Amino acid sequence: MATQVSSSVADPALNYPSPLKEFWQGFSYNKGAVIGLCFLTLVVFAALFAPLVAPFDPVEQYRDFMLTPPSWSAGGHLRFLLGTDEIGRDMLSRLIYGSRLSLMIGLSAVLTSMLPGILLGLLSAFYPKVLGPLIMRVMDVMMALPSLLLAIAIVAILGPSMLNTIIAIAIVSLPGYVRLVRASAMTELNRDYVTAARVAGAGPMRLMFVTVLPNCMAPLIVHATMSFSSAILDAAALGFLGMGVQPPSAEWGAMLSSARDYIERAWWVVTMPGLTILLSVLAINLVGDGLRDALDPKLKRAA
Amino acid sequence: MISFILRRLWLLLPSVLGITLLTFSLIRMIPGDPIEVMVGERTLDPVMHAAALHRLGLDKPLYLQYVDYLRNLAHGDLGQSLITHDNVWTEFKTLFPATLELALAAMMLAVVVGLLAGVIAAIKRGSLFDHGVMGLSLAGFSMPIFWLGLLLIMLFSVKLGWTPVSGRIDLMFDIPPRTGFMVIDAWLAESADPVAYAGAVKDAVMHLILPAIALGTIPMAVIARMTRSSMLEVLREDYVRTARAKGLSPKRVIFVHALRNALIPVLTVIGLQVGTLMGGAVLTETIFSWPGIGKWLIDAIQRRDYPVVQNGILLVAFLVILVNFLVDVLYGIANPRIRHAK
Repeated sequence: MATQVSSSVADPALNYPSPLKEFWQGFSYNKGAVIGLCFLTLVVFAALFAPLVAPFDPVEQYRDFMLTPPSWSAGGHLRFLLGTDEIGRDMLSRLIYGSRLSLMIGLSAVLTSMLPGILLGLLSAFYPKVLGPLIMRVMDVMMALPSLLLAIAIVAILGPSMLNTIIAIAIVSLPGYVRLVRASAMTELNRDYVTAARVAGAGPMRLMFVTVLPNCMAPLIVHATMSFSSAILDAAALGFLGMGVQPPSAEWGAMLSSARDYIERAWWVVTMPGLTILLSVLAINLVGDGLRDALDPKLKRAA
Repeated sequence: MISFILRRLWLLLPSVLGITLLTFSLIRMIPGDPIEVMVGERTLDPVMHAAALHRLGLDKPLYLQYVDYLRNLAHGDLGQSLITHDNVWTEFKTLFPATLELALAAMMLAVVVGLLAGVIAAIKRGSLFDHGVMGLSLAGFSMPIFWLGLLLIMLFSVKLGWTPVSGRIDLMFDIPPRTGFMVIDAWLAESADPVAYAGAVKDAVMHLILPAIALGTIPMAVIARMTRSSMLEVLREDYVRTARAKGLSPKRVIFVHALRNALIPVLTVIGLQVGTLMGGAVLTETIFSWPGIGKWLIDAIQRRDYPVVQNGILLVAFLVILVNFLVDVLYGIANPRIRHAK
């Protein structure tokens, strides 16, 4: 903010770096984070432009080329770079289209759990007498169940589909947000600037969303990144158990599930989808580490 | 100490009640009522339908149904499976040792390897080994364990032929269940009759090893990371320097003076991993056809066996709450400051 004033000063070295530049300096110091970001950009690009990038249609079956190995191994075909699956669909194209599903599920789940999570977290920090403990007890109950099991139970009730996968994962990750927002809002509430705002006559709404919330953003962004990666992992697990996105959609977990029967003769149908999940999740976690280093210096040592 | 335990128990009450409310309402969120679910696609005579609803108490107001549900639970009645008509509690009891055996094996692996790797990485900070451990643990943390399980099967069972693919023991052994732990039961059987059960223990261990690796990977990664950072913190402390200065051997300083204090946060993490372990057991047991609680629940969900789903989930949740409670109590015993806090 103050940069505009100081830009008239002759020596540019005296200027504050712009927030963006400062952020990038912190972020790029972490080499793993940069590598993760590169890979993630690649995945996002592939997802956005899937029809242009993918060599084939993901559900098109090439019956003459069933279980063709990847192009570099014996019996491989140059047309199918990563080989084909049991009914002759191109692996690479399915993985590319699968990235759309995974990113979509992850992103929607993060958004649908983050917004109520912020609201409930702020409410429980601002009303510590009755509402706060009530909200936290409900969250405790949700945390007593292993998250994957709760997600499975929800999908079992609602029925397997992409929308229900998103709902289940969003519900499961809600307590994490509530606890995080509550904890950081409660530290902020003791600060002088909040008291000052209160004395100046700011109402509860303004205090919550304008005064306190922006100062809780750093840990929140880091947590959102991490829960994005675990959402992708959970979605794949649900798909693998046959309770997520249904075939013939090219979902990574569902691809692995149908690959189980070919484990003895077609290593690529087992290896490729899992490797894609691992690398994507790893990339997002690396980016999350970098974000933490850049945004939240306090947390650096806790890592 | 007793008042501390009682206070903790009192705090559990809302969670336990909340869980029952959750499992009670889960089953009522299914579209259609339980009778329709039981009958399936067949059409149902409305009179019989009403009679069945009445017989099961499903025509009462919801809050009375909930009270009934609680009363049944308090009497130890967890209902019957729609498929096998066995008592849910009986089924749980027979299958639970399998999950416990798997979870204990996984946890042992995770603790031993994770602690050791974490300690060495902390001592050799910045070395190639340190970077290797940190990289591997990050990968382990991001690992889809169902895929890891498949990879392990592909490498060790299919390609190398070292381990069997599924189950707990070879079908040619008929091991009498005594403890429910296959490795121990096999050992008992083999020592009683070394000829008929020759190689039973080895076979049981071989069956156990791959699922334990698959299930133990994530806790192992978490423990290694936590141990490393906690050790680094402790190694900077004055008492470590004092111990070094008075001429104790490096081994003694690290394993007695430093590690002991570094273990406290690690223990908490180990306690927290129990939930993850139960979630992971669902996936691991499905892949390796391990006849435990996880596979039981998944099968029940696929067969729409709702009493099993409902109360199976309830039992697992109780289990997680119980373990967390025990960790809390242990923590209170280890650390008086927690015991005497408000």
